[in-house]
Amino acid sequence: MSNNSKPVTNRRAFVQKLVGGVAATTVASSAVALSSAETPPEGKKAKLKSYAMLIDTRRCIGCHTCSVSCKSEFDVPLGVTRSWVEYTEKGTYPNVSRHFLPRLCNQCRHPQCVDVCPTGATYKRPQDGIVVVDSGQCIGCKYCIQACPYDARFLNPETKVAEKCDFCIHRVSKGLVPSCVNSCIGEARIFGDISDPNSEISRLLTTNPTTVLRPGKGTEPQVYYIGADHSDEHENNRGWYDVRITTHRKEKGRR
Amino acid sequence: MHELTWGLPVIAYFFLAGMGAGAVTVSGSVLLRKGGFGASRFSVARCGALIGPIPVMLGTFLIVFELGQPLRAGNLFHLINLSPMSIGSWFLNIFIILSVLYAMTFMLPGSSPGDRFSQVRRGLAWVLVPLGIGVAVYTGIMLGAMPARPFWNSPILAALFTLSALSSGVASIILAGVVFRRKSKDVAIRSDYENSSYLLITSDALLIAGELLVIFLFLLFGHLTIGDIKYAMLAILPGGQMALLFWGLVVGVGLLIPLIIELFQVMPKLLHNREFKTIVSLEVAVPLAILIGGFTLRYTIVVAGQITAPTTL
Repeated sequence: MSNNSKPVTNRRAFVQKLVGGVAATTVASSAVALSSAETPPEGKKAKLKSYAMLIDTRRCIGCHTCSVSCKSEFDVPLGVTRSWVEYTEKGTYPNVSRHFLPRLCNQCRHPQCVDVCPTGATYKRPQDGIVVVDSGQCIGCKYCIQACPYDARFLNPETKVAEKCDFCIHRVSKGLVPSCVNSCIGEARIFGDISDPNSEISRLLTTNPTTVLRPGKGTEPQVYYIGADHSDEHENNRGWYDVRITTHRKEKGRR
Repeated sequence: MHELTWGLPVIAYFFLAGMGAGAVTVSGSVLLRKGGFGASRFSVARCGALIGPIPVMLGTFLIVFELGQPLRAGNLFHLINLSPMSIGSWFLNIFIILSVLYAMTFMLPGSSPGDRFSQVRRGLAWVLVPLGIGVAVYTGIMLGAMPARPFWNSPILAALFTLSALSSGVASIILAGVVFRRKSKDVAIRSDYENSSYLLITSDALLIAGELLVIFLFLLFGHLTIGDIKYAMLAILPGGQMALLFWGLVVGVGLLIPLIIELFQVMPKLLHNREFKTIVSLEVAVPLAILIGGFTLRYTIVVAGQITAPTTL
């Protein structure tokens, strides 16, 4: 990341040029919202962070504690999920295995949801790379829900705006780790700043084989996995072995 | 179980906005064109101008109440960004305002080709033709912009939606013509009517042929590639979940049958310069079939895009 003192993405810059006055007020109002969420260090130029998560699926036991703590952290309504754990079952006895895949918003480097948002309600925070939704701006058009290759977004049935995991910015900005990381009993989730080479996540990322989900979509996810099973039910078409996915999301298959 | 994030209101909007924008675009082009339509130029343009804004506004009404926060629809106009929906909303907004003004120039008492509003009318037509194309094309771009939805992720979808919109527009003008223009006993007006019907039907046949070509390319592209798009395309290929609707209603009822009937109607004059006669039953049935096809096209495309997904995690 460059050392831009002025935190603007390209799209925001474009917007400001295009409709200076009105856009400026919008940007300013969201900037006020930002500054209340995170207070940048005084004096020296704030160092840009890049938050990421590494999930060591070998340590995951599929207990759903992360899902539950996320639900209670945000009071997520019934039937929708910011964080969930998928079970993948492969094969038939005796050649059979089961894997767990904790899922959440991938906080992509190139988030499609941001590209398609018509109001600028969803944007990638330049200071830490977290993709957020300004629930005061969102009109609930559901374009971002369509555009997310990970099905990480949903329309909150109570507030009627788009919602998704935001790496618990309210906790992270106070120096805590996200709720799911905090509650994980297997310590399968490692959260940190990958722009800091000395962070634990940087050390683990560089010393382990890791994967991301749907790399072909070009989104460059910032949620990495160790030992993730990428099997999908599509493989059943080949007829060689059986793949069963349980998403633990109400009436939702994997997209 | 796949839930439809964008359901019937969005599908209906795509169809209605396309048809209305198509009708106004065709109306504007007919008005601006010298010759061809001759004396019926004004009445054909009036048909398109008067019916065009209605479906667009109806569709917009549907789409606004499809939003999670309908009262915040104004947020769309706080800025323009590069989201197809943002640009499309601006297009739609300006289009509605101008197309209503354009329709009003035809509704004023004593409106005729040479009245005092003719300059305004022509000016509006010059703006509305590209705007109407913009409204028709953006819906396809909006769907095509998402790699997460492989079925839609094709630039040619925008071309398909545009041609379908123009064709539905022509169909609605023909239908309106049957209702409002056909009755006249005056021989001169009758002959003008026949002439304009001939031109409209010929243009419609051309548009439908273009649509068939684009659908062919759309399917061919799906066939020639591998991966997500190839698998997604299975939804409308024979054996797929949407195949019957697509091939039966979209291609069969909506495109092939109207094209064949229209060609039979216009070929004698087009090739051998024989006399062209309109047939009322066909003038009603063919546009209706085209409109059914146009709606089913939006339906199959929008649903197929949402029941298919990338195949690898």
